[in-house]
Amino acid sequence: MWILLPVAGMSIRLPVLVGVGALVGFLSGMFGVSGGFLLTPILMMIGIPPTVAAASDSCQIVAGSSSGAAAHFRLGNVDVKIGSVLLLGGLAGAAVGVRIIKVLRALGSADFAITLTYVVVLGTIGGYMFFESLQNLRRGALVPKSRRGPAEQGLLSRLPLQMNFPLSQVRHSVFVPFVLGGIVGILAAIMGVGGGFIMLPMMVYLLRMPMHKAVGTSLFQILFTSAGVTFLQATTNHTVDLMLAILLAAGSTIGAQIGARVSRQLRGDQLKILLATVVLVVMVKMALGLLMTPSLQITPAGGH
Amino acid sequence: MMKPRSLSLLSFPLLLLPLFAPTAAALEPAKLQITPSTVELGTFYGGARMHVAGMAGAGCKIIVVVRGPSATEVFNKLGRVGPIWVNTGKVTISAAPSLLLIFSSEPVNTFLISAAIDQYQLDLGSLKKHMLIETKAPDRDRVADDFLAFKAHQGTYGIIPRSVQMTVPDQGGLPFSVDFEMPRAATPGKYQVSVLECRNGEVTTKSDVDLEVVEIGFPALIARLAKERASLYGIISIIIAMVAGFGIDFLVFHIFRRKVAAH
Repeated sequence: MWILLPVAGMSIRLPVLVGVGALVGFLSGMFGVSGGFLLTPILMMIGIPPTVAAASDSCQIVAGSSSGAAAHFRLGNVDVKIGSVLLLGGLAGAAVGVRIIKVLRALGSADFAITLTYVVVLGTIGGYMFFESLQNLRRGALVPKSRRGPAEQGLLSRLPLQMNFPLSQVRHSVFVPFVLGGIVGILAAIMGVGGGFIMLPMMVYLLRMPMHKAVGTSLFQILFTSAGVTFLQATTNHTVDLMLAILLAAGSTIGAQIGARVSRQLRGDQLKILLATVVLVVMVKMALGLLMTPSLQITPAGGH
Repeated sequence: MMKPRSLSLLSFPLLLLPLFAPTAAALEPAKLQITPSTVELGTFYGGARMHVAGMAGAGCKIIVVVRGPSATEVFNKLGRVGPIWVNTGKVTISAAPSLLLIFSSEPVNTFLISAAIDQYQLDLGSLKKHMLIETKAPDRDRVADDFLAFKAHQGTYGIIPRSVQMTVPDQGGLPFSVDFEMPRAATPGKYQVSVLECRNGEVTTKSDVDLEVVEIGFPALIARLAKERASLYGIISIIIAMVAGFGIDFLVFHIFRRKVAAH
């Protein structure tokens, strides 16, 4: 069965869209990432114009992340307190990131910078997570790892406005999650994605949050950022295809529920190594895309 | 837009041909019917079966051209910076139809002179000559080739020889027909279906029929809202997405809870 996408201006087979949504929703629910870094390239591969793919993707992320966040909230995995600070930092960072992109575009090197940022960030995060989780699994990670206390965090523990985040069992200065959120916001704005796959490792490795709490909190934060992006895309670029978003969401909301349940069956390190593998596969695909000669040397304009 | 051609003694008899051959003005245009006359892009549009039929003068070759409105399209130009491929600039292509399907009874270059092919843009070479390309890239020819390859891949450009069916001429003329699939990527607008009757290497008669491609139902509503009421559309999109997300969560939670309770 074919379905017409009115803003994209083309028809696509219905099961393809729902299936793609389900796959990305599954990853979203399991790892607490929005899946935008995966979905936008897939949509472009099946012929959706890049601008429509990116904008509609953010709309379906609203559906997928609200489904995933609600499921995690019920499981007690959403730390609203630290999530709100990260969200504020992320919004401030996104505003800075948009400025940086404007300057880079004026200099004519935006696309080069974006692509290189993608490969470097994905490679660094994916590689670090993969090898760290592999070491833990080899050691037998059944013994819970001790998280460093504030005394061991050196300079960070001396920062003002120290605050307890009881659900995540961590104590930080409010500036730490705010600045980390800001860094992720900058990178997310430059890369044009929700930033969950950068945020999640930051929460686990720098904020020392337990993996499952990081997953739920990340989804909570993504829900708000993707809603903001959807509104901006709809009003400035007119590229949100609601039909496309609804069908992707139909798959992704169900996928997110299954993903959230599967994540409960896996240990933190197992989750991390799976996410690292997905991130590294996307990074390798992007790196190959940069190096291999394309069959066509023009691509429809829009997006990144 | 005929180009000046060098004349030779051998080509002199050709100049006399129009005096004896029927011209576009002299001949009755082909009677033409297109079914359906309006293509409706509804929710489940996945292409439409089209049928063009008509009656032409006996002894002619037939070309049927389906042409979409001209559009300006913007592309990124990929170029090599060191070992990697990145966008190096923009390419704007205009004066090219959004859709172009050319059907003929035989390969066009076997019965039309190149000037006529060029005038009516009936092959890729003539299309390349007429399209306007704005780019800083030096390889404009490569850009044009890539544009045509992109449109062919999209299904919006196609040249299909031996696709016009012609039956035995009767007293009314030569009946012809062509069946084709309107592409899935067809956009709304006013299209033109033209039938070219060709004799002695020239196009002698051209008949045009309009073909409307219109959006209807839910897709039309979405397209209109997205363009005309962008803020409202943005808010509605977010609300629908959130309702879908929380709704699915609610349903799944209650289904699973019932299953657990049943056990």
